[in-house]
Amino acid sequence: MERQIINKKKRVFSLEPNKNPSAVFTRKYTSHLVPALKKLNMNKNSSKQTVKHEVDMALALSAQEFAWSRFLLQKLSSSTNPTTTTSSSDGIRILERSDKEGGNKEGEIEEKLRELQKLLPGGEEMNVEEMLSEIGNYIKCLELQTIALKSIVQDST
Amino acid sequence: MDLSVLDRLKWLQQQQMVSPEFLQILGSDGREELKRVESYLGNNNDELQSFRHFPEFGPDYDTTDGCISRTSSFQMEPVKNSGHSRAISLQNKRKPEGKTEKREKKKIKAEDETESSMKGKTNMSNTETSSEIQKPDYIHVRARRGEATDRHSLAERARREKISKKMKCLQDIVPGCNKVTGKAGMLDEIINYVQSLQQQVEFLSMKLSVINPELECHIDDLSAKQFQAYFTGLPEADSKQSIMADFRSFPLHQQGSIDYSVMNGTKDQTSSSWETHSQCIYNSLRTDSVTNFFSLK
Repeated sequence: MERQIINKKKRVFSLEPNKNPSAVFTRKYTSHLVPALKKLNMNKNSSKQTVKHEVDMALALSAQEFAWSRFLLQKLSSSTNPTTTTSSSDGIRILERSDKEGGNKEGEIEEKLRELQKLLPGGEEMNVEEMLSEIGNYIKCLELQTIALKSIVQDST
Repeated sequence: MDLSVLDRLKWLQQQQMVSPEFLQILGSDGREELKRVESYLGNNNDELQSFRHFPEFGPDYDTTDGCISRTSSFQMEPVKNSGHSRAISLQNKRKPEGKTEKREKKKIKAEDETESSMKGKTNMSNTETSSEIQKPDYIHVRARRGEATDRHSLAERARREKISKKMKCLQDIVPGCNKVTGKAGMLDEIINYVQSLQQQVEFLSMKLSVINPELECHIDDLSAKQFQAYFTGLPEADSKQSIMADFRSFPLHQQGSIDYSVMNGTKDQTSSSWETHSQCIYNSLRTDSVTNFFSLK
């Protein structure tokens, strides 16, 4: 009890807690994902890929102010079997890259930028400057997404 | 220096009155130009710290105020009918700082080309040139010492600086980037980080799909409550602890021993930085338990 009082004293709230972008995103994300999962449950024909689909869909829907979310939505809606964002081939690629000796310095950087573009949904359609700023908020949203997923998984086990 | 230059200009103006052939060469609007010059100078006298003027030829080294800077400007020449010989002799406001100061605007005209074409003209002697001053809406860039001043390299430079600014922002977002220097290393880190995040998401969704049938019972408990508490920094040590434990016990896709260790290392860092990111927006204070908790790995 005392501890709670002490904690309350130390708590600092912002004036508009609902506007905190991380909280806003997470709230939106869970509000999209959880009902979708429930619906999946109902249908009883859920496969791994469909859950992933829902996960990506929730991500795209909760971050609609960014360009990459549009591309992600397009990708999801166009394909019934959505391509996974990562695959084991990516892992192999990481190893290859570290083994390769760099030749041209400028060429290396160009290559890496291209790879980064491939990672970002829709990255290949953007130019480098745009892509770099989009990558920033994509990373942020991915982080929040993993936190949300973790706590969903956590809570249900 | 200012005074002397202005004096020179006035003297030239007087000269112009005297020499009619000068007027001929200038064209009919020469006098108007000079008036414009004077009004410009009169208004902006206090702003101008130095006023470059001919009779220098070519790239000039201005030694006023003890600093040497090379700017892409050039001498004045008489008006041609085509008009492409108009030039800007008036220097913009310049701080008397070192050699490596820089401005953000970009000159659209290819000044070097006109400069070389003007060098060839020998009509005017040093003392009889006049100033034609234009104030177009150009963007002006100061070339640093030893750097090229043509349009393309200036554009390249501006673009490169935008990109490096963005890379710096990314450095703050991606944990572990501070230790690496250079674009290539940072890009490597960023790529690895994005890939690891995506793999985590994939793994979590797989896990979620496995336990999905049981979700219904528990999922209503999950909520907003958890996230709010999370974001306001209440030390719900228990729940957070379980998250951390779960996190560490991930059987990650093992891509190879090298990467595994790297990713594991970065992951520990990332989780703590995520916490700080989300918390620091709300909270300037963090309770001791939380900090202790995250410091133990």
